[in-house]
Amino acid sequence: MRHVFKGLMTATALASMVATASYADEPKKGGTLVTVLGSNVRNLNSAVQSGIVTGFPGAQLFASPLRYDENWEPQPYLAETWDTSEDGLTVTLNLVKNAKFHDGTPLTSEDVAFSVEVIKANHPFKSMFAPVETVETPNAHTAVLKLSKPHPALMLAMSGQLMSIIPKHIYGDGEITDVKSHARNNENVVGSGPFKLVEFKNGEHVILERFDDFFIDGRPYLDKIVMRIITDPAARAIAYENGELHMGAFESLPRIINRLKGVDNLTVTPDGYGAIGPLDWLAMNTTKGPLADVRVRKAIAYAVDKNFIHKALMQGTANDSTTGIHPDSPFYAAQDGYDLDLKKSAALLDEAGFPVKDGSRMSLTIDFGWPGVKPQVEYVKAALKKVDINVEVVSSADFPTWAKKMGTGDFDLSWDTVFNWGDPVIGVHRTYDSTNIQKGVWSNTQGYSNARVDELMTMAAVETDDAKRKALYAEFQAIIADEVPVYHTNTLPYHTVYNTNKVGNPPIGIWGTSTPIDMTYLK
Amino acid sequence: MNFLQTLLVRSVYAIILLTAVLILNFSMMHLAPGDVADTIAQANGGADAEVLEAIRAEYGLDQPFLVQLGRYIGNVMQLNLGYSFYYREPVTELIIQRLPATLLLVFSAQILALLVGVFLGVVSAQKPNGLTSHFVTFIALFGYSAPVFWTGILLLIGFSLQFQWFPVAGMRDVTIDGGFWIKSWDVVVHLMLPMITLASVFLALYSRLTRATMLEQLRTDYVRTAYAKGMPHLKIVYQHALKNALSPVITLAGLQFSAVISGAVLVEAVFSWPGLGTLAFTSILARDTPTILGILFFSALVVIIGNLLTDLAQRLVDPRIGGKE
Amino acid sequence: MSDLTTDAPNISQSPWGQAWRRFRGNYAALLGLVILTTIIFVAIFGPSIYGVDPYEMLWAPFSAPGLDGFILGTDYLGRDLLAQIIAGARVSIIIGLSAAFMSVVIGVSIGALAGFYRGWVEEILMRITEFFQVLPTLLFSMVIVALFGASLPMITFAIGVVSWTAVARITRSEFLRIRELEFVMASRASGTRPVKIIFNVILPNALPPIIVQSALMVGSAILFEAGLSFLGLTDPNVVSWGQIIGSNRQYILDAGYTVTFPGVAIFITVLCISLVGDGLNDALNPKLKER
Repeated sequence: MRHVFKGLMTATALASMVATASYADEPKKGGTLVTVLGSNVRNLNSAVQSGIVTGFPGAQLFASPLRYDENWEPQPYLAETWDTSEDGLTVTLNLVKNAKFHDGTPLTSEDVAFSVEVIKANHPFKSMFAPVETVETPNAHTAVLKLSKPHPALMLAMSGQLMSIIPKHIYGDGEITDVKSHARNNENVVGSGPFKLVEFKNGEHVILERFDDFFIDGRPYLDKIVMRIITDPAARAIAYENGELHMGAFESLPRIINRLKGVDNLTVTPDGYGAIGPLDWLAMNTTKGPLADVRVRKAIAYAVDKNFIHKALMQGTANDSTTGIHPDSPFYAAQDGYDLDLKKSAALLDEAGFPVKDGSRMSLTIDFGWPGVKPQVEYVKAALKKVDINVEVVSSADFPTWAKKMGTGDFDLSWDTVFNWGDPVIGVHRTYDSTNIQKGVWSNTQGYSNARVDELMTMAAVETDDAKRKALYAEFQAIIADEVPVYHTNTLPYHTVYNTNKVGNPPIGIWGTSTPIDMTYLK
Repeated sequence: MNFLQTLLVRSVYAIILLTAVLILNFSMMHLAPGDVADTIAQANGGADAEVLEAIRAEYGLDQPFLVQLGRYIGNVMQLNLGYSFYYREPVTELIIQRLPATLLLVFSAQILALLVGVFLGVVSAQKPNGLTSHFVTFIALFGYSAPVFWTGILLLIGFSLQFQWFPVAGMRDVTIDGGFWIKSWDVVVHLMLPMITLASVFLALYSRLTRATMLEQLRTDYVRTAYAKGMPHLKIVYQHALKNALSPVITLAGLQFSAVISGAVLVEAVFSWPGLGTLAFTSILARDTPTILGILFFSALVVIIGNLLTDLAQRLVDPRIGGKE
Repeated sequence: MSDLTTDAPNISQSPWGQAWRRFRGNYAALLGLVILTTIIFVAIFGPSIYGVDPYEMLWAPFSAPGLDGFILGTDYLGRDLLAQIIAGARVSIIIGLSAAFMSVVIGVSIGALAGFYRGWVEEILMRITEFFQVLPTLLFSMVIVALFGASLPMITFAIGVVSWTAVARITRSEFLRIRELEFVMASRASGTRPVKIIFNVILPNALPPIIVQSALMVGSAILFEAGLSFLGLTDPNVVSWGQIIGSNRQYILDAGYTVTFPGVAIFITVLCISLVGDGLNDALNPKLKER
């Protein structure tokens, strides 16, 4: 008996050693990841719908030619190898041979060509593929993109959620512009990504399950992903704490972030948003009255205390930003910024011809597009009162009303959050380009026009040499920091929350959750 | 008039009422500055005048108002409530998806409020100045005077965070595998806090009215005679007095449906309950006109149906009652 | 509710005097009235007495109640919560009173005309009343505010325009009852102008339940405004109780006091209004214990 017992003990000891060893080394297969979407998903087709909420399920359902690692290096995905010609006008993608769509149809270069057309016609980000003139398909697994000018931004545009390859045999049944409202955007969605759609209940959840025929062997690890839709941040916080949610991204409320950081089994990290590049800023309409004078804009910048915003409003969760390019981007060139200086502010205002009359120098209005930024708006009002600028808060009850005001230049000041989307060409140029003035929300709504800035942006867009590009953007950032049509205060503190004991390999690369999570597993 | 006739008349009347609701809402949305074309254009990142014109032509927005109204009503008759630009889905589908959740919340809250309210009212009517009576009044007044969303938040903190007795949001846990009964139980568990929150507001009304009418009933000759004849106390209270006392309470409950739906909107917001309330809220924030109109229409429909059901309940309780008011 | 103390009927006292005595004996209602008066006093004079600007960022955000001289603490921008609640009292009560006033005016007019004229006038007015009864009130108001702007007058209008049906029903009910009374029939028979009959003869006698309902409506208007504010449909340049709750909702997990205090303020105000309303009801309709 004793021998048996000892034997059992040894066996158990050995077994547990082996088990722990493999536990630490290998991702486990299987399980259901419960995660969350913070607002309602409108559309699962990321080829026609922008935004991070569509991006998360979209990047699981659809695959893109490239994917990026945490060092901003492109990795193969649907494209095994790729090649850019010397003159930068031809980009060749060699696709993997075994990629299939969820309905079994093989993915070919026809689908790539089709997808580029669809994105160009429907996706709101026009600058991504504008220089792509045609996509040739010499054979089923080669796609050749012909450009009208060199387009270094194309690399990042071919990753994440920006270039989802959609099946031509499903979406090609009507006009190209019909894809935007295609019936298969919300049900029976078919892509070639690691997960396929099980169920999409508007306002409740999106359920995905593993695609067994995914073209990367052995992946994905998870069996199922449940994306619950919970719009209330406090409710999400409670759900993380009591284990109802394993993981969640894009949490941005400082109090909640700090609270969750204190919870034992949760990891809260700001990593993963470098390419999304979210920036908070105060937009100033340079076509309106006093704001046309750069001294007035500088005065406002000196009066709005970044430190207060970082410490009190953001509670230390956000990072400083001084230019239109996100600090995590390789092109970021930090500027001096505007520290709080009420005296200087007052002096500039006097100089610009706005002395204090009856207790006030001027009256401005400030708009904002969604309730989340109300604290910042109220702060600006109180801060500018200290230099005798009267600010009236204008609230638009709905997003389209605000968007229209911005798009038509019907505002003085506005608080906004805008994303870089990887390459400055995609998300940054639109704000400063003088040919893009007041063409809808998130265009150059400030009416800013500087010939040198336009020149720099045009050159940087086609410059294939990295070092030269960096230098161009450095000069660009110095000018816009000096002329301050937009006062950059901070990065939006997006954080990813996940259960340390349950989630392995959470998506914290540069695209956050707008990337396939085929390498994520449940411990 | 017999039952079926009444039903028919009421139904026709309901349709007229609903049409009036449609016309009012449609006109209101038209009066407002900006139109659907703007919304669509903004969602696509802005547009210039010609594109706006094209959108307007495509959706028939350049037609005169009456033509548009006529077309809309015609569509609604065929159960086509239009297309939501924001959700990219037909409005009818959107609403059908969310309607059951709201119905569940609204009706369960009403029933809970009625059951508990009537019971408390009866209890406190028997000892009108006792401690129980005052206690009941206090609880009832709390529910009524506290803003319903505040009550909901307090309950959420208390029972979802402090004591983790109830889930924090939503209507069901999708990770649960199980048959019909397990899934239904899951919904019930999720329903608890929202239902209690919403019921708390109307508890006050029903309990107080019950108490008042019961007091009256207990003083009638009819009841006094019953006591004199030696009928058991409980039988008198629950079988005789209550039956007569219930009628005004049920009438009141019927009139409250509109208020219950309003309360449901707020409760849904607090608990992320996937019903029409949250849909309404996002649609208003996105200026999704067709959806807003659809929701207003359906809410009115729910109220009308609630009224009808209340009338039915009235007849069950007291067959003598034939008409309204 | 508390017991009614009934004095020995004093014939020389007017009905109003008798009602007041009954009200006075109702301790809960009295307490409610006292507290309510205090609240109104605070709303009117509070800002001048307390003197702190509710919009000014005075201190570190989320300073707990009782610390650093802030009795109720500070909010997310470091503003004095007590100052905000005092300022909010004014806005919430004004909106409550105005919206209730508007509802009463509309409701009494419609109810009176319907109850007095009967016939097709009554039919039409009652259909209109039913129509507004069927409308989902909060949703409709949300849409009005969203479409036409969230200014104080518009919010008051949005609340008032959907809340008048109860008053209309009660008014009509009373008019139907009173118009058949002898002294009214006498007036009608003697050819007095209808306007005079309505205002001088019937209305004064119909007042008791109308007053009670109006009082309660102030409470429900305050709750209504709180709901709209909570959902974000408010004028961002003024402070109201519901708005404080809405703005601070995301901080509820660890700065819950920012939501609790304005909630308590609303609760106490509406509770007192209800108690007073109940007291009025018992006082003015001693025989009718129901509504």
